[in-house]
Amino acid sequence: MTAKLELKRLAKAFPRGSEPPLEVVRDFTLEIRNLEFLSVIGPSGCGKSTLLRLIDGLILADSGRILMDGRDVTGVVGGEGRGMVFQSFDLFPWRTTRGNVEFGLEVAGAGKAERRERAEHYIRLVGLEGFEDAYPHELSGGMQQRVGFARALAIRPEILLMDEPFGALDVQTRDILQDELLNIWSTEQKTVLFVTHSIEEAIYLADRIVVISPRPARVERIIEVPFDRPRHERIKSLPEFLQLRQEIWSLLKEGVKI
Amino acid sequence: MTPTRKLMLQLSGIAIVLLMWEIAGRIMGENLLAAPSIVAVTYVELLLDGEMLIELLNSLRQMILGFGAACLVGMPLGALMGRSRLIDALVHPWISMIVVTSVAALVPIFMMLFGTGFEFRVAIVFVATIGYVVLTAYHGARGIDPKILDVARSFGTGRIDTYRKVILPALFPYLITGARLGLVHAIRAMVVAEMFVIVGYGGLIFQTGLDLSTAPILGYLVTIMVVSIGANVALQRVGDRVAPWYAARMAR
Ligand SMILES: Nc1ncnc2c1ncn2[C@@H]1O[C@H](COP(=O)(O)OP(=O)(O)O)[C@@H](O)[C@H]1O
Ligand SMILES: [Mg+2]
Repeated sequence: MTAKLELKRLAKAFPRGSEPPLEVVRDFTLEIRNLEFLSVIGPSGCGKSTLLRLIDGLILADSGRILMDGRDVTGVVGGEGRGMVFQSFDLFPWRTTRGNVEFGLEVAGAGKAERRERAEHYIRLVGLEGFEDAYPHELSGGMQQRVGFARALAIRPEILLMDEPFGALDVQTRDILQDELLNIWSTEQKTVLFVTHSIEEAIYLADRIVVISPRPARVERIIEVPFDRPRHERIKSLPEFLQLRQEIWSLLKEGVKI
Repeated sequence: MTPTRKLMLQLSGIAIVLLMWEIAGRIMGENLLAAPSIVAVTYVELLLDGEMLIELLNSLRQMILGFGAACLVGMPLGALMGRSRLIDALVHPWISMIVVTSVAALVPIFMMLFGTGFEFRVAIVFVATIGYVVLTAYHGARGIDPKILDVARSFGTGRIDTYRKVILPALFPYLITGARLGLVHAIRAMVVAEMFVIVGYGGLIFQTGLDLSTAPILGYLVTIMVVSIGANVALQRVGDRVAPWYAARMAR
């Protein structure tokens, strides 16, 4: 398989006034395969969001390069084959479900008919038909994040960047949305970069898991997940699953110095 | 508190003050403080006579021009100040000065600059209003959630679209608040300015102040209060209609 996205020796430090800059990402090298589901796991504050923001071009790397299909996209902001789903949903409160989903198409200059049709498709895909004209405040957290999915999918990104998209949801909603995400992923043909701090979630969803060392973020280990697809809730109690969970847990624990 | 209960309490509050006013009015006499019962009778006469309403409409028309201009200039200016340090540094000192300056103090200068006619009144209202409009828009723009701007950037939103489709709607509640605050000051400024040059509604109040009875002047005050409060409520309604998301969030 070919690399969809290549991160080459990315580094990012944030200046801190008189103190030395805070090194958040250092020497970060990773290949993301085409159409794979890759989970990135690390303790909170280790630089996962920063990494995604670098890839999305929202912040500039101090050094290193980001290649997509071999093209250099370092520092290229927004669009360009990448779609982002945010942890706190961050919907536009003044736009309805449809308006939010159409946003990316609108600013990309798509025509009205096309926008409408595509928004409808993705609203249906995430199971929100009937809520097209609802404002975010009228939706539950889970529904809001579905809008977040649809909004990111509507621009037909090749790579979906997801920053702890279920982090703000309750456990039941989270489980349901995990399965729905897998369904969507199997029909939509996307490369997914999924950041999480939940080990179980990382294993359940991913083809491969990248374990990140705490600040500065670096690739600690890459783990292949051996489970077949489609996956079901019951794999979570398989001995292999539990063993993998234990293994990742030890890796993470080693990295964390209290 | 239920809405009916709240309304009852508010009405009781007004009734108590009216009662005290009535008693005070009876004791002090009509040429010091006309009692509400007398004001009510005079008020009907004023309404039937028509001069009060005609002058009021004339004055309001000019006030609206000054107020509208202040909104048109002040809202984008405040938004830009909130988003750009450069513009903020250039403009903020002037806005601060305008806000602390009393309208009455500006009247002599403005009379020299604009005379005492139409331009004078519009200019006074403009200056009295713009500071409030600018400052509310400014604070709104500064407080915009950076995460929502990240979303916009993540979709490759251009500069103009970011202003039109993200910053402006995010600011909308602040613009409405600024307009409401500005309107109160616009109406006040209108009356003050007119009292100096003895024209329009303010002029009417000034001249009536020389009368023996205080009933008509109190009537004029009631009218201007009703207009001010009414306009405020109307603006709020407009805001709630145009921005249902905001009204709903505030109600929580
Ligand atoms: N814009 C920024 N300026 C300064 N420090 C930042 C900035 N963004 C993130 N950080 C710091 O970088 C570290 C990693 O943050 P983040 O990438 O959000 O971690 P994670 O997503 O893994 O929880 C944190 O200590 C955070 O305070
Ligand atoms: Mg994070």
